[in-house]
Formats: sequence, C-alpha cells, structure tokens
Amino acid sequence: MQPSGKIVDGFHFLPPSLGAWIRNTIPDTPFEGPIPWAPLKQPVARTSFALVTSAGIRLGSDPPFDMEREKREPTWGDRSYRKIPKDPSRRREIAVNHLHINPDYILQDINVMLPIDRMVELEQDGAIGRLAETHYSFYGFQWNSTEFIETAIAPMAVQMAREQVEAALLTPA
Amino acid sequence: MLTPTHEFNRAVGIPRSAAVEYPYGRPVGEVGDRAGQRRVLQAALAVLAEADRPGEVRHLPFAWPQEAKHTKWQPPDMSPIVKANLEQIKAARSR
Repeated sequence: MQPSGKIVDGFHFLPPSLGAWIRNTIPDTPFEGPIPWAPLKQPVARTSFALVTSAGIRLGSDPPFDMEREKREPTWGDRSYRKIPKDPSRRREIAVNHLHINPDYILQDINVMLPIDRMVELEQDGAIGRLAETHYSFYGFQWNSTEFIETAIAPMAVQMAREQVEAALLTPA
Repeated sequence: MLTPTHEFNRAVGIPRSAAVEYPYGRPVGEVGDRAGQRRVLQAALAVLAEADRPGEVRHLPFAWPQEAKHTKWQPPDMSPIVKANLEQIKAARSR
C-alpha cells in the first residue's frame, strides 16, 4: 500500500484531558532501543499466521481475567493469556474482561478485534498461506512486563512454533 | 501490529505497524462490516509485505464513519487507573 498522506491521530477518540495525560507519559522522540526484526521469508500468500490481541477475550468456558485485583491495584494487569481456536464450532460463546474499553462490540462480532473469520476468508482466497489453529488473547494493561513475558509471551511463542506460525498479527485494544 | 495508538511505539520498539484511526476495541472495523474489515486487514498485510526497516509505521487512510464523541468506546465504569489519577487527568495539558 502506498503512503496515503494521512497521519493517524492515536488520541482522536479520547477526551482531550485524558489524551493529554497519556501523551505526557510517552516520549516525544522516536524509540531508540533495539527493535526485533525477522525478515519475511516468503510472500504473504505463502506465510502462516496467528492472531494475538490484548483485548481480554476468552472462551466462556475459560476462567476470567482477574479484574478484581486491578480494581484494588490500579497499575496491575492480569499476566495470563487464553487460547482462542480457529474453529468456529469451538468458540460459540466468548466473553471479554476489560476495564478500559467497551466490550459490547467484540461480543457482537469478534472480528472487530480478533479477525479470525476474516483471516479464514483470506486463507480460502489464497491471500495468506495458512491461518493457525490457535490464536491468543491477553490482558493489555501491563506496566511491568518482565513477569508477563514468562507467563504469557513465552508459552504463546512455544505454541506458535508448534503450529509452524511464521507471522503474528497483534491487534491492541 | 495493527494499532489505534502508534504513538506508543515511541516507548516500545515494534517491528512493523499499521496505524489506523479507529476507536479503541475496534481496530479492524465496524461490527458486521465484512468488506471494511477485509480492507483494513489487507492494508495491514501489505505493511508486513512492504516494510523494510525495524520500527516502520504506515498510516492507513481509513476514516471512522462516526464523530469521536458518538463512538461509545469507553468502558461502562471509569477504569481504575483513570479513577486513581482523575485530578491529574483533569489538569493535564499536552506538552
């Protein structure tokens, strides 16, 4: 896709004071540390994908993300993750635990946040190589990520490797 | 990454990003809008195919069809972090 000329305003939908408060917590200058980089080995049409979201989506049969502790400790976020299957018959009932967004839209259509059905269509059309059987959701409110890397990111990466995933699409809430 | 807030990339190194000006909780598009969701995904996949340097951010051209104040993206109850910092938030001004 060619550059559009549009510059996205990530604070467009926030009340001005909340946007200003958040803006003041992040640097003005570009990130200067090392950034991981894995070159795409083959065209997207032959690449296998998994989806990852930070929206606190889970199957209704799985335990909820811990919202009560965050209510007591406002800078703490649940460190766990949940698997979401590709197979629609195995995800008929989903739930969302998230204290920072309105979950109603995801409950109406999971694809607004975790676009499994759209990616299945792109797989069927040959636009992507393969969509993995397992996708992932965690709780995107992580202020200290060290423990989270061990409890969520590492096991997600193991499962992705097991399913021969080559690219992950992350959709933050 | 398909992100509604690419500005956070100034704090965290992200390999490739497609920035989209959609409300929180709906970065792929509107409920039931299959064609619109596909357009966003195809644009995000193009970023994966074309980005050639770590940290690259491409800004997608899509516009949300509602005014910001009508998007109702916020949680039913004020989040704990907002509640805990309400006075500072009310006083906040952009740098």
